[in-house]
Amino acid sequence: MIDVFSAAGFRDVEITHRYDCFVGTTKERTAKKYGVIGVNVSATRM
Amino acid sequence: MAVSCPIGFDVKSLRAEVQTMYARVAAAPNGEFHFHRGPGYAASMLGYDAGELAALPLDVTAAFAGVANPHAIARIPAGATVVDIGCGAGTDVLLAALRVGPTGRAIGVDMTEAMRQRAAQGAAACGLTNVEVRSGDATRLPIDDRSADVVISNGVLNLVPEKERAVAEIARVLKPGGQVQIGDIVIGEVLPESALRDIDLWTG
Repeated sequence: MIDVFSAAGFRDVEITHRYDCFVGTTKERTAKKYGVIGVNVSATRM
Repeated sequence: MAVSCPIGFDVKSLRAEVQTMYARVAAAPNGEFHFHRGPGYAASMLGYDAGELAALPLDVTAAFAGVANPHAIARIPAGATVVDIGCGAGTDVLLAALRVGPTGRAIGVDMTEAMRQRAAQGAAACGLTNVEVRSGDATRLPIDDRSADVVISNGVLNLVPEKERAVAEIARVLKPGGQVQIGDIVIGEVLPESALRDIDLWTG
């Protein structure tokens, strides 16, 4: 995601927040195993 | 030309699977899914303001299925034009409409009709006249060039196989200096083939 925005010419691309959004779901184990988390991404169009 | 995603799923079929999944969420938000829904989840796990959510119709917030909180990045300014890609039942686009106020606009785009209906009805129930809900998807936004101050989205880009095309669309619709405030999922490991072929992981 970060790479895609950066490659498209956006600046100040960053992850600002992280969330364990799969905790308590049927995919919790899979998410933990592969490090799948929710994130906020901020970027500015040049 | 046929478009394919990296592991060979047909993009049209994948889009249909996503539409089916979210039509199910719209029809029965309390059904069984492999992701959380609803205002309690949004407040307790993603940091949404419970009071703000309580002010929205439950028909809207019950079908919330975001994975992060775009509103936590920065407060959307009054008077701004905001586009919400994959607005779903409308939680984020209605919150955006409240922030931009009567001098701003909040435009939700979604490819699932049942979700668009919930969002439009929610806006009407809230008396929000600065909300528009349009049919479209992330790779073909029904939005004019350089017309948006802020683009938000929540748990949608991960569902789009053609991510470069979706991000190019965001660049097209944003004004120079416009802001991206997106919630999505990221993966910390290289996924094995078996996980890549799990359709649930592509649709939720």
